[in-house]
Amino acid sequence: MEPKKLLSRGAHLPRREILRLMTAIPAGALFSAARSTTATPKELAAELISPEVAASYQPKIFNPHEWKTVHTLSGLIIPADERSESATAAGVPEFIDDWLDLQRGDLLATIRGGLAWLDIECNRLFGTDFIASTAGQQEQILDRIAYPKNAAPEDTSVVAFFNHFRDLVVSGFFTSATGIKDLPYLGNEPQSDWQGCPAPVLAKLGLLAERTKS
Amino acid sequence: MPQLIVSPDAYDVIIVGSGAGGGMAAYVLANAGAKCLMLEAGSWFDAARDSKWLEWGYGAPHRGAPTPEHPLGYFSATVGGWEIEGEPYTSASGNDWMWFRSRMLGGRTNAWGRISLRNGPYDFKPYSRDGKGFDWPISYDDLAPYYDKVEELIGVFGSHEGLENCPDGKFLPPPGPRCYELLIQKACGKLGIPCVPSRLAILTRPLNGRPPCHYVAQCSRCCRLSSNFSSPAVLLVPAQATGNLEIRCDAMVREVLVGPDGRASGVSYIDKKTRQEVQVHGKVIVLAASACETARLLLNSRSRQFPKGLANSSGMVGKYVMDTVMSDVKGLLPSLMDLPPHNEDGVGGMHLYMPWWNYEKQSRHELPFSRGYHIEFGGGRRGVPEPGLLSGSQRFLGGGYGLGLKQGCRKLYGSFLDFHGRGEMIPNDESYCEIDSGVVDQWGIPVLKFHFKWGEDEIRMARHMQETFQEIVRAAGGEVVQSAGPEERWGISRGGECIHEVGGVRMGNDRRTSALNPYCQAWDCKNLFVADGAPFVSNADKNPTLTILALAWRTSEYIADKVRKQNI
Repeated sequence: MEPKKLLSRGAHLPRREILRLMTAIPAGALFSAARSTTATPKELAAELISPEVAASYQPKIFNPHEWKTVHTLSGLIIPADERSESATAAGVPEFIDDWLDLQRGDLLATIRGGLAWLDIECNRLFGTDFIASTAGQQEQILDRIAYPKNAAPEDTSVVAFFNHFRDLVVSGFFTSATGIKDLPYLGNEPQSDWQGCPAPVLAKLGLLAERTKS
Repeated sequence: MPQLIVSPDAYDVIIVGSGAGGGMAAYVLANAGAKCLMLEAGSWFDAARDSKWLEWGYGAPHRGAPTPEHPLGYFSATVGGWEIEGEPYTSASGNDWMWFRSRMLGGRTNAWGRISLRNGPYDFKPYSRDGKGFDWPISYDDLAPYYDKVEELIGVFGSHEGLENCPDGKFLPPPGPRCYELLIQKACGKLGIPCVPSRLAILTRPLNGRPPCHYVAQCSRCCRLSSNFSSPAVLLVPAQATGNLEIRCDAMVREVLVGPDGRASGVSYIDKKTRQEVQVHGKVIVLAASACETARLLLNSRSRQFPKGLANSSGMVGKYVMDTVMSDVKGLLPSLMDLPPHNEDGVGGMHLYMPWWNYEKQSRHELPFSRGYHIEFGGGRRGVPEPGLLSGSQRFLGGGYGLGLKQGCRKLYGSFLDFHGRGEMIPNDESYCEIDSGVVDQWGIPVLKFHFKWGEDEIRMARHMQETFQEIVRAAGGEVVQSAGPEERWGISRGGECIHEVGGVRMGNDRRTSALNPYCQAWDCKNLFVADGAPFVSNADKNPTLTILALAWRTSEYIADKVRKQNI
């Protein structure tokens, strides 16, 4: 049997060859090459989650009605603006479904219970479920549970639900391709050298004078 | 098929384990002309192919979050973890211990933090300084030439500071500080805490054919281009090139074999793929299976001559296991909000750190604990955003939803910093491992039972960490958002959580109180050596890997010299 040999990696490779290797990385890394172009966030996201794939996603946790509610709620928590699309468009419902499938337990119960409460409360107040309520009615409900300090004591458990759900939407959005561009997180890009802290940031931190002195 | 295969080849040296210690033994001994066989209990791993370098979280399962199969997250190069299916361990009741095992070629050197700090002169003679613990049988001067050689071989960046008990080394230039690191350095200046370039085994210049870092903060994924240190890339590649090293993976060593003359004659291992036992024979045996695994192997190597286990006439095998004291604080720094966007990745670790600064106070007995710690810190905009990002935002934004929330999150991003203490644990009689005679693993090998207790010094140190880190956050104009108080024992970590377990087969000057002599050679068995963290007599706050490498180099040179003179 031929003994197994370790590859010697970057050893003795010219810089050009190393850069070629860097771009030959499979899977998600393809995005890093595309990112330097002038594509919009929407186009970039489309490269990663094609509409067909998103449409064909089968939720592992949520039933069809919950699934619609999760879409609506995600979009209300992080809507689109001039800088980026909404959490729903960025694939957050799929993230939440997958995440809850991984975690299960109390978190899953809290989320499902909270989604059920939204419908119960809307039915009681408006005679329809949450997704069928008007934008104004949805706001009325969310305003009650989205601001922990102002919330009524009897809404405590729903406030806890909404804190968890907000965390899932925020974390799911800002770890998506769209959200990363929105922050913006500018790393995960191989650099030929490390430049340190850029002058405009030093200036804003009031450290420019000290750094140029030293 | 036969149940037992006796391998026909005889080797000069059999090395058990392929991490820092085993890799260094293979590097030195294969280069010295010895025919070496390396046995690794884990699977083949080659970062040039297997690293998840540059992949994005959104393309990964669960955005890369930790799962039972990947306890350090999907991107970490680690294969293994605190729990391995079919390979249990037990803890004595009321004792809390986590035992991390990497089961892969290169062991923990693939995913480690690359922090490479020399032990200082005090760290080898702690008992002489404060009357606690034990002195090493060697001094800083014995190891200093090996630290030099290791740093020149693997590449360590750092700066010359001349600080007490934090010896400078053969450094590559350090990378410039990140923005948040400068802010903290300034705060530390006000408090009289040194904040200096860190010392990491990452190349900032080309070295020995390896290219320099490309600054994507992903060392834990292991570098595809070998710009940081791992045993396979830096030690095993050149060792294989000599033609003197054979590597067998999936080889779980169960016992060191002993001949009628009382010398080690070889080892017996289970081939995990076929579940067959294989015996191989060699003139010298080097154990580098990781501290506790090496102790386990010795305790399980019972024979007529050595009924208490091999190298254990002193009864010291398994004793004085140590980990590192950890405690964390998290802060929010408003001045980091709304900064112009910038890439803060840098190397896969901190560019600045705070070495221990209170030796003088301690020598005047002005602190309620005896040993030191250093501070590691991170946060800001470093690293690919991971699940959990901006969790608990309602605490800082008052809650909400909609465009206001979206804007608020953008503002918060990059303004959190976390501070981690890494402190010295004094060895104690209540922290040790032994064979649990009632439990075997799936290979039929009796498992370890752990006993572990932090001492009062460690708890008081954790309190000092908490108070100091909170002071730093406030001095930088920040707000402490996560900390620990007395009811949580000041946030002290669980034993083994830091993955710095060392000791268990300690070296010494006296064969009655140590298992190994000052060259890490078993007192009871001349051709048996230990080259991992097990020989450690104390566990300074300095992360153990650099010292394991230096000690293994020294031990391997001693073996090569003795073999040359036919003295073993």
